[in-house]
Amino acid sequence: MPILEIKNVSKFFGGLAANSDVSFSMEQGMIMGLIGPNGAGKTTLFNCITGYYPPSKGEILFDGRRMNGLQPDKVCKLGMVRTWQKVRPLAKLSVVDNVMVGALARTISLKTARDMAMEQLKVVRMEHRADFLAGGLPIGERKKLEVARALATQPKLLLLDEVMGGLNPAESEEIIQLILDIKAQGLTQMVIEHDMKAIMRISDRIVVLTSGEKLTEGTPQEVVSNQDVIDAYLGESHA
Amino acid sequence: MNKSMLKAAIGLIVLAGLLVVPRFVESPYALHMMILLFLSVSQGQSWNILGGYAGQYSVGHAAYFGVGAYTTMMLMYSRQVVPWVGVWAGVAAVIVVALVIGSICFRLRGPYFVLASIAVAEIMRLSAINLTTLTNGAEGILVTEIPAFKIGERVVTDFLTKVPFYYIGLFLALLTLAITYWVQHSKLGYYFQAIREDQDAAHSLGIHISVYKNIGLVISAVLTSLAGSFYGIYVGFVDPPTVLGLDVSVQIMLICIIGGMGTIWGPVLGSLLLVPLSEALRSNMITEGLVKIGLVSADSKVGLFLKENLAHAHVLIYGILVVLVILFMPDGLMGFVKKLASRRKREAA
Repeated sequence: MPILEIKNVSKFFGGLAANSDVSFSMEQGMIMGLIGPNGAGKTTLFNCITGYYPPSKGEILFDGRRMNGLQPDKVCKLGMVRTWQKVRPLAKLSVVDNVMVGALARTISLKTARDMAMEQLKVVRMEHRADFLAGGLPIGERKKLEVARALATQPKLLLLDEVMGGLNPAESEEIIQLILDIKAQGLTQMVIEHDMKAIMRISDRIVVLTSGEKLTEGTPQEVVSNQDVIDAYLGESHA
Repeated sequence: MNKSMLKAAIGLIVLAGLLVVPRFVESPYALHMMILLFLSVSQGQSWNILGGYAGQYSVGHAAYFGVGAYTTMMLMYSRQVVPWVGVWAGVAAVIVVALVIGSICFRLRGPYFVLASIAVAEIMRLSAINLTTLTNGAEGILVTEIPAFKIGERVVTDFLTKVPFYYIGLFLALLTLAITYWVQHSKLGYYFQAIREDQDAAHSLGIHISVYKNIGLVISAVLTSLAGSFYGIYVGFVDPPTVLGLDVSVQIMLICIIGGMGTIWGPVLGSLLLVPLSEALRSNMITEGLVKIGLVSADSKVGLFLKENLAHAHVLIYGILVVLVILFMPDGLMGFVKKLASRRKREAA
């Protein structure tokens, strides 16, 4: 059984279709890349999946359970958690406290939560930053903090919204390694990314969105050689 | 001796000192000041839980203060219900009010929530003025005699001096401090602060926003209600402007904002500054002081003007103080103290 099934999902804002009739499914343990030009509806799809918007049409099944209309906190409790394209650190809390907030979704004990948080900080190699204020971190570490905080909620499916956006090549490389480490632990991930090289390296399959619709889906090799994708990215005159 | 032991020792010494004050201090005025201080700490601390920790700036805490005070006083006045029972009736009433307000107002965020909270307190004030059969309207409720507190046949206290109020006030202040401490060191505190820092992020991390906001509101409202009941019993009189007015709400907020929001000691510092200040302004101590040190003469135009007007100016001076704090100490007195401490540590290093 697929861990996540998106069935004919549409999302309308007034007359505008941000997503229309998008369908695909994900198997346990895979990394699904989600790409497309700006405004293609990638983040809207994330918001639909994680409960920020109810989809206007269609169905989202997670672990066989219908997710439409569930609030984000419930979605998180059921095992799906997302990070934010524009990072959202809890600025006045320390780094470890930020991650503890995530861990507290699974425990009431602060001590257990702290242990869980330190474990996740080790995963993203930020233990030495534990007592820093989250608001004072540079962008690269904020992005990693987002990931650690999401991991601390012990998800079955992690949705990463442009975790490499705004990072320099060295930082991006670190994030790529992090994503592959997380995959090695068996966690399923969906990744929105603009960096094509990165997405080709990490994804098992890729879904391409343009103007809210699914253009194509396939392995990275299939997607790069697809004429429609080349047209969508480079414009038809280059074809 | 390490730092936390030192802190505990200082705390115990201060507590012991506070417990024996009434043995050595006879002046009712001094005790009155201490009682006002305790009241202020408990008000500021209750607001702190919702405003400081959960980041929901209620400018309508007079609603809970007033409903607590009124319930206790009305029951005592018309049904002769003893206050230590009436207090809990007040708490029950406030829980109902808080949950109704919370379920409506927490759909709103930021400035819209602030406006809604003001509106609710105003509704309460206008109701108290107009439901005359229940509340005596604008006349207010005056209770001159408080029944003695008995356990069985033994009279514990007859409330004739300020001493029992001193201890009740002290207990209330310590209770709010303890609850704040507990909130800060529990899952609740983490969730409140997460909601304050970023509601959407908090939501994505499994926090049921409206449930936790309502928990914060109820804790805050119950403590405010206890303070209100205590105020009513202590003063023996409540009327709409003194317990339900907008300035009551503002006063409650200011204790916390000036002291430092989201810190355990902020409301204590705020009270230590604001209570003596407002008392000095109200009682014309400042004018008298200026006359005494010879800066102005008592019968000069300036002296007369100050004497006439300074007592009414405490709201103005409060206002100036808030502006100064916001400009120069955005994290309140407590934030300022912390900044100084960390600067000294850095210089020492």
